[in-house]
Amino acid sequence: MARTEPARPAERPGRRPRPRRLAAAVGRLARHRLALTGLILVVVEIAIALLAPWLAPSDPSAIDYRAMLAGPSHAHLLGTDDLGRDLLSRLMHGARVSLGVGVTSVLLAVGAGVPLGLVTGYLGGKVDEGLMRLLDSVMALPALVLALTIAAVLGLGLINGMIAIAIVLVPIFTRLVRGQVLSVKHNDYVQAAHALGLPTRVVLARHILPNVVNPVIVQASLGVGFAIIIESSLSFIGLGAQPPTPAWGSMVQTGFQYLEIAPWFVLAPATMIFLAVLGFNMLGDGLRDLLDPMARSRL
Amino acid sequence: MATYIAQRLLATIPVIALTSVIVFLLMRLLPGDPVLMIIYQAGADVSNEAVQQMRRQYGLDQPIYLQYLAWIGKLLSGDLGRSIISRQPAWDMLLPRILPTAQIGLTAWLLAMLTAVPLGIVSATGQRTWKDWLGTIGSLVGAAMPYFLTGGLLIYLVAMRWRLLPASGYVSPFVDPLHSVKTTILPALTLAIWLASTITRQTRASFIDVLQHTYIRTARAKGLGERGVILGHAFKNAMLPVVTILGIQLGALFSGAVITETIFAVPGVGRLMVDSILSRDYPIVQAVVLFITAAVVLANLLVDVTYGAIDPRIRKT
Repeated sequence: MARTEPARPAERPGRRPRPRRLAAAVGRLARHRLALTGLILVVVEIAIALLAPWLAPSDPSAIDYRAMLAGPSHAHLLGTDDLGRDLLSRLMHGARVSLGVGVTSVLLAVGAGVPLGLVTGYLGGKVDEGLMRLLDSVMALPALVLALTIAAVLGLGLINGMIAIAIVLVPIFTRLVRGQVLSVKHNDYVQAAHALGLPTRVVLARHILPNVVNPVIVQASLGVGFAIIIESSLSFIGLGAQPPTPAWGSMVQTGFQYLEIAPWFVLAPATMIFLAVLGFNMLGDGLRDLLDPMARSRL
Repeated sequence: MATYIAQRLLATIPVIALTSVIVFLLMRLLPGDPVLMIIYQAGADVSNEAVQQMRRQYGLDQPIYLQYLAWIGKLLSGDLGRSIISRQPAWDMLLPRILPTAQIGLTAWLLAMLTAVPLGIVSATGQRTWKDWLGTIGSLVGAAMPYFLTGGLLIYLVAMRWRLLPASGYVSPFVDPLHSVKTTILPALTLAIWLASTITRQTRASFIDVLQHTYIRTARAKGLGERGVILGHAFKNAMLPVVTILGIQLGALFSGAVITETIFAVPGVGRLMVDSILSRDYPIVQAVVLFITAAVVLANLLVDVTYGAIDPRIRKT
C-alpha cells in the first residue's frame, strides 16, 4: 500500500518513520474493539484453513461404518456424518474451500474491477456511460440468482463457482472505484500532474490510485464475507464443490436430511459459515471506521 | 408528480432492455446445442439433415441479433418458451409459483420493517447505552447469519422439538388459510431476521446523521418533547435512505427465496429456478431469471416513485 503513494521527501520533519507509523496503525486497530474481534476471527479461520491437514484429528474422508451419525464423543468431538466421517476434520478442511474460494474470487474481482473503474472514471464520456448502464443492468439481477445462472452456464465445480462469484462482485468494485475517481479527478494535484504532461497511466497509478486503496480494502473485506455466503449457497444447491470435497455448503445440504436425529450435522457447518462471514464483516466495518471515516455518512 | 413518474418509467426501459440482452446471451452461452438437446430428450435417432432442418425451424441458423429480436417479439406477445422436459409453457409453470414466494417474501418484509425501524430508532437515540449495543451487535450477528443456520435452528427447535409449526411444505391461503399462515411463519422469519438486521443498521445510521442537523436543535429548543422531535421532524428525513435500501433488498429477498424455499420445501419461484438448473431445463431458467429481473426493476421503480412522494426535492430535479 505504501509503495503506491505519491513520491515524497524521505525525511520530512514531523513525519514518523514507516515502522512506527505501521505500529501506530496496528495500535489503532487493536484499540478498536470491533475491528480487533473481526481480525482475531479472521486470523483464527485462516490458520485453521492453512493448518487443516495437521490440526484435523482424522482424515476428512475416512469412512467409519460403525459410527454413522454418531453424536459428539471422545473419538469424534463434533460427531460424525452419514458415512461416519469425522465432522470436526471435515469442518477444518471445509475452511480451505470456503475461505479459498472467498478470498480468490474477491482478488479476481478486485483485479478486474479496480482497473476498469479507474479507466472508465478517468476517461468518462460515452464508453463510461455505456459501461455504467451495463453494470446497472447486471446489478439489477439478485446476486445469488446471477451467480447461479453463471455457474449453470459454466458447469459444476469449484473453479467455475469461483469465477461466477467473481463476476458478480466485479460491478461492486468498478462502481466504488469510479465514484472515488470522479470525486478526486478535478483536484488541483491531478490537474497539475496532467498539465505537466505525465502519461494518463502514470497519473492514474501515482495520483489517483492511492485515493482508492482504502475504500477498496474495506470493500474487499466485506466482499469476502459475501463471497463465502454465495459459495456456500452454490455448494448447498449442488453447483459448487462436488463430493467428496468437504465444503460447508454441501455438508449443510446432506445434513438437512438428518436434522431431527443429528442436528449438529447442519448446525456445525452453518455455524462455521456464520463465524467466517461475521469475522470478515466485522473486520470490514472496523477498517471502514479506521481507514475511511468519511464513508460512515454515505453508508 | 405525473411527469416525474413518466420520467422514471422511461428511465427503466433501457435497464430492462439491457438486462434482457444479458439474460438472452447468458442462455446462448450455455453448453450444448438446444436442438441436439431436444432430440436427446426425445430419445430419437435423427439424421444430420434433420438436425439442420430443425435449426432452420427454430431460427437458430439466423444471426444472433435476429434471434434476439425474434425472442423479444415472442416475449412481448406473452410467449416465455417451453420446458424441454415437460413441454409445458414456461408461463404455466411459473404462474402458480408466484403466490408462495410473494406471500413469504411480503410477510418477511413486513416483519422486518415492523421490528427493524423501531429498533434502529431506539439504537440511534440511545447512543452508547446498552440499547445501542443491543441494536448494533444484534444487526451484526443477524446480517452474518446464513439462512442455513437460522432456518436449521428454527426447524429443529420450533418444528421438531416443540412441535409448534410444520417443518416444511406450503399450503395456499385459498385452500386452508390457517394452515397457510402456519407454513409461512418459519420461512418468513428466516428471511426476516437477515432483512431486519440490514434495515436496523440503515435506520440507525440514518437517524444518527439526521439528529445532528440544526432543524432538530431548533425543534428541541422550542421545547418540543423528544418523541415529537423524532416522529415529527426526524422521521421523514431519516426514512429516505431506508426506503432506498428496501428497494435494493427486494432483489436480496429473491436470492434468499432460492435458499429458504429449498430448505423449507416451498414450491415457489426460487425452488423452480433451482430445480430447472439441476435438471438443465434452460428455457425455464431463462423465464425465471427474466421474471425476477422484471420484478426487481419494477419494485425499484415503485421505490423511486415513493421517494418522489416523500421528498418533493427529488421531483423538481
